[in-house]
Amino acid sequence: MSEQPTGVWVYLQHTKGDLTKDSLELIAAGKSVAEKLKQKVVGVLIGSGLESMEKRAFEYGADSVLVVDDPALEVYFNLAYADAIYSMVVEKRPYVFLFSANEIGKDIAARVAYRVPTGLATDNVQLAVEDYNNPALGQFKDLLIQIRPDFGTRLARIYTPKHRPQMATVRPGSFAPLEPDPKRKGKLEKVDFKPGIYPAKVTKVTELPPPFPDLGSADVVISLGMGILKDGHGNPKDPREAYGYAKQLKDIFEARYHLKAEIGASRALVYAEVKELDGMIGRSNQVGQTGATVKPKVYIAVGISGALQHRVGMQNSAKIVAINTDPEAPIFKIAHYPMVGDVYEELPKLIAAIGGPASG
Amino acid sequence: MLIVVLLKGVPARTTQAVQIGGVLNREAMDLVLNPHDAKAVEAADYLKRRAGGKIVALTMGPDMKLIPLMKPLFDAEVSGVDEEYVLSDRKMAGSDTLATSYAVALGVKKLVERHLAPIDELAEAIRKAGYSEAVKAKAEELYRANLIPNGVYSDLPSVRDSIVQRFLEGKITADTAVAELAAEKERLSKFIVVAGVKTTDGETGSVGPQVAEGVSELLGKTIPHATYVEAFEADPETGTVTSERRIGYLSQKLVMQLPALLTVSHEYRPSSAPAGDQARVRASSYRGKLPQAMKWTAEDLGADPKRLGLAGSPTIVGTGIDIGKPPVQKKVGESLVFAKQVGQFEFETKKYGPYSPGDLPNALPPQLLDRLKADGSLALFDVAMLAKELVS
Repeated sequence: MSEQPTGVWVYLQHTKGDLTKDSLELIAAGKSVAEKLKQKVVGVLIGSGLESMEKRAFEYGADSVLVVDDPALEVYFNLAYADAIYSMVVEKRPYVFLFSANEIGKDIAARVAYRVPTGLATDNVQLAVEDYNNPALGQFKDLLIQIRPDFGTRLARIYTPKHRPQMATVRPGSFAPLEPDPKRKGKLEKVDFKPGIYPAKVTKVTELPPPFPDLGSADVVISLGMGILKDGHGNPKDPREAYGYAKQLKDIFEARYHLKAEIGASRALVYAEVKELDGMIGRSNQVGQTGATVKPKVYIAVGISGALQHRVGMQNSAKIVAINTDPEAPIFKIAHYPMVGDVYEELPKLIAAIGGPASG
Repeated sequence: MLIVVLLKGVPARTTQAVQIGGVLNREAMDLVLNPHDAKAVEAADYLKRRAGGKIVALTMGPDMKLIPLMKPLFDAEVSGVDEEYVLSDRKMAGSDTLATSYAVALGVKKLVERHLAPIDELAEAIRKAGYSEAVKAKAEELYRANLIPNGVYSDLPSVRDSIVQRFLEGKITADTAVAELAAEKERLSKFIVVAGVKTTDGETGSVGPQVAEGVSELLGKTIPHATYVEAFEADPETGTVTSERRIGYLSQKLVMQLPALLTVSHEYRPSSAPAGDQARVRASSYRGKLPQAMKWTAEDLGADPKRLGLAGSPTIVGTGIDIGKPPVQKKVGESLVFAKQVGQFEFETKKYGPYSPGDLPNALPPQLLDRLKADGSLALFDVAMLAKELVS
């Protein structure tokens, strides 16, 4: 046990016999860190009947995979999964351990981190490796720099200088999966783990249909914010009109340009629970820190001021259009195409231009 | 049933989150109750109506700020919060989720002990003194302090069958009374902790599961947890809680033995199931609300100082980062862009181009700009150009 902790571990989630998109992204996140550390990416797979799933992990960049395969682990159960992970961490001592910042990743990572014990930096949108110098604690070489949104004002670097593994959850949508290479091979290691007896039991599991709208995989996201409740003169507007425009745009992108388009919303609009938008805008539309992180080809922010919590969820979009009456709105800092003006005037112009014959 | 609800005071406005060395200074800002906690209070309220018992609010931070913040929960008729405990100590300042969860777990343990010990005291009094005024006085004292439920002792006219009353009336023997108290203690040890899914300041969602892990460590037994709970029912008789939650693409039903911890989703709506057995609810309820909040320090908790505050926090918040650089912007109706393809050309002995439609004429000499404008190579960026760029 005298060796230094090593390895960048990634906890791989799977459903219906395949790794989830979040897991493929997580391998890419792990790879970016492992290359800088000159360490290996180790996938951690838990479940039952996992034959050949490790091959997917290798194709997508994992150097090796640790598998706990037991019929008793067929359905996801936090206590047993956390136990399995904890026992591997204690035995093999990774340097870094990443989880997807989704409900399952957070469910296990939090318990494991407490038990180890080590720090847990959640919801990271970027990762880096840097030396860290702290006058009180000393110098640390090659630390994982965990970069996450911080109290609404900025991104913060989080360090876990003294504890190993450095544990972090990574926001889905923050890293793109690597190009799969079917020829890539890796090392498979089966780990013996027998789940214990727990004061809890999963009695029913249902796979839900993917959330609608599926913002994460859209090519175009048209997001609505509080700005749609008023026109450029500050007079109240029926937000269904703006929703109608957004829907028109979505239909044009899909029918005419074969781009998958979805309608998003700012947190403020979702939480305002505007009566007129009932059934149109809900929590599954939310883009931002507490909603979906998106990276579409085109992001159109309609009447969204662009608080940091929103920006971290869409700032990596390839082309950002922002329409807002306030020229000082923070969204304009990151928009490629700022349109200062009344949503109810600018949006129809955009629809006419994209849908009109000239742009075909 | 002992229902512990975890609450947090969060900055009222994010712009106020002034940081000193990366640590939130909660004493210097306006705090509000974490909005996600409202669902935890709602769930606790529902539990109390169904199963009886007591709702104890547990929070951590500067007591001067937090006590007024919690006050509406006691004053409001709709809220069944009965008691409030604030973990407050400078030693806890700067805690990350690990150190926070450790302190909160100690708080939970102390709360549980606070409610179990009186049952032992009473059993001890019965064993020692037998039938006597001493037993009645002890029961009266504990009851007034809100420490024993009606089923153990009560002055409510509607409760005539408390353990102590039946003992004092000679209906049960001392041995039976002691055995019943032991059973009551067993029931009380099946407590439940409810919390919001996360807070609006840290947004980690880690503290719920970590408190479950912390209490597990302190009590030496596994305390299960369920996050994002959308529906649940607790059965104090079997000591179980059945929760339904949505985690990613899974909807999961998790049956947990108490004690257990739940974090309550925004989607949670209390079920409209009829109230529980009223006699049972009354028996497991307590005398009333304690108007005074109780403050516990690190010492009161018997905390290991190395596990509290900055010392007990493995993570360090470092310097901030500005997100992204301002992109190259094209403003509709303002920016000049190339309106057509322009091949490479020479102007005053320097080579320029080639340029494609939509390119910005960056760092071109003014005379050249004038020439390009004049010959129609440059034009104002318009919405049609924007449309073209978006779909290309």
